[in-house]
Amino acid sequence: MEKWKFPLFFLLVTGLLAFSIIADSPVKLNWSLLSAGIVGAAIIFLFRGFEQSPASTREIAVIAVLGAVAALGRVSLSALPNIQPVTFLVIVSGYVFGARTGFMVGSTAALASNFFLGQGPWTPWQMFAWGLAGASAAYFRAVFPGAGKWALALFQFTWGYLFGCMMNIWTWTAFIHPLSWQSFLATWAASLWFDSLHALGNVFFYLFFGGSVIKILNRVQKKIAVSRLPVQNIPPSNNHHYKTN
Amino acid sequence: MPQNFFYQEKGLFLQSLHPAASLTLIAAFFLLALCFSHPLYLLGLLLVILFSLWAADGLAAWESYLKAVLWLGLLIMLINALVNHSGSTILWRSPALPLLGQLSVSMEAISYGAAMGVRLLDVVSAFCLFNLIVHPDRFFSLFSTFARKSSLVVSLATRLFPLLLATLGQIREAQQLRGVDFSRGSLRERTVKNAALFNILLLSALEDSLQMAEAMQARAFGSGPRSRYRRDLFRPRDGICLAGVGFSLVAAAYNLARDLGSYTYFPQLGSLWGGNFSMIALAAVLLGLSLPALLSWGCNHWPYLKWKI
Repeated sequence: MEKWKFPLFFLLVTGLLAFSIIADSPVKLNWSLLSAGIVGAAIIFLFRGFEQSPASTREIAVIAVLGAVAALGRVSLSALPNIQPVTFLVIVSGYVFGARTGFMVGSTAALASNFFLGQGPWTPWQMFAWGLAGASAAYFRAVFPGAGKWALALFQFTWGYLFGCMMNIWTWTAFIHPLSWQSFLATWAASLWFDSLHALGNVFFYLFFGGSVIKILNRVQKKIAVSRLPVQNIPPSNNHHYKTN
Repeated sequence: MPQNFFYQEKGLFLQSLHPAASLTLIAAFFLLALCFSHPLYLLGLLLVILFSLWAADGLAAWESYLKAVLWLGLLIMLINALVNHSGSTILWRSPALPLLGQLSVSMEAISYGAAMGVRLLDVVSAFCLFNLIVHPDRFFSLFSTFARKSSLVVSLATRLFPLLLATLGQIREAQQLRGVDFSRGSLRERTVKNAALFNILLLSALEDSLQMAEAMQARAFGSGPRSRYRRDLFRPRDGICLAGVGFSLVAAAYNLARDLGSYTYFPQLGSLWGGNFSMIALAAVLLGLSLPALLSWGCNHWPYLKWKI
């Protein structure tokens, strides 16, 4: 059953989306509710994955600290328009520690920082988008293992726009009519300068802090990694040194 | 920079509710704001949320939220007015523009944009109420029953935040004593100085995290089923609030099934009144949702009620 969970969840979401775009479907699905529901369900699904994972105490503590540092960076730079180190730190965490840790650091940073800045309808979307940024960095590393500094800088830059795109989906589905490509592009165009600042900020943070932060995280990753050796059966020795006469 | 939680303990009635009851109330506000599209229903919902915010002594906090979402509300109105061409009462036509063609603004599109502005206010105000009446620790305590690791991670991060802020101040002072002046130099020089500050903070925080993990392990974390201390009591006030919200949700489902909460914007605006029954149905929904705020008012004026529930 465990291995079918993800395909089943994926099928359910795509099925709901497909059902919602059929013009004469018998049940009129409210897209604002549907999009919020899908994001909520995805967060629950991914958190559940973390619950069932064999995450060690050290991993939990490191995720909490990275989330808190990212939240601190966000809150301390909240006066600047959309220039914040969260995306940078979350991507670097996912790149070093893997998809699960990357997702948890991103969603933790969003939720924790909003307890200080103020929770809003944006919280679940930020948790989802930052979580995905962290998780995708791990997949980026797996696909391009030899990616250099500029490739990762480009990845950081892209996430500035992807993050804005995800945040716009809810604004678009909940408040705009009709839901068409034109209206989505208009919504995205309105936030374009904001997203551009985000993307440039990510690249700036990565170029200034990236090398040293990756070095620090690699060091911690070695410290928290637990490798288990297989139990070996040691054959009984034939030499009886303590043979008594 | 905010150093404390947005939540402030004031000993209010709404803050004393069980987190499950408070969260159900907020979820109902959120859900109904997205389900209803009738302007009067959306306005009624806003009034009830404002009444609850008043009961939570949060109108000043709500003003700060209002400033933050004002531009978003205006943007929603503008985009709706420009991209929606389904309305029949055209108020303005632009001259032919390159790439975009001729734009038209209709009264129906402006009305829809205004109603969506109210919906945005409903949703944002509901979250503002959440910030004011649910303490973060009680929120995590509720989720720790079934999401032990996740709620521990977020709760740890929230607790570490002020600690890291204090550490950052200490590191800055130590650097200043060594002659680093953070306010002098070019932008690049100042960035390098702050980068060093950030690296030291990250390094020391991660070192501390390993010690924290050892301390947790020394206290037997993860060695078996987790024990938990439940402080939140479920009192009659929570039952009454949940019953009120439940009644509202049932009434709202009935309204939606009879198409009372929706409104025809296009191609021409429908009648706003929609009949006496529609208004009575709306009053039923709003009455159930305003029960917690009414109880709060009652408890402030009638100590016997406060003692009894």
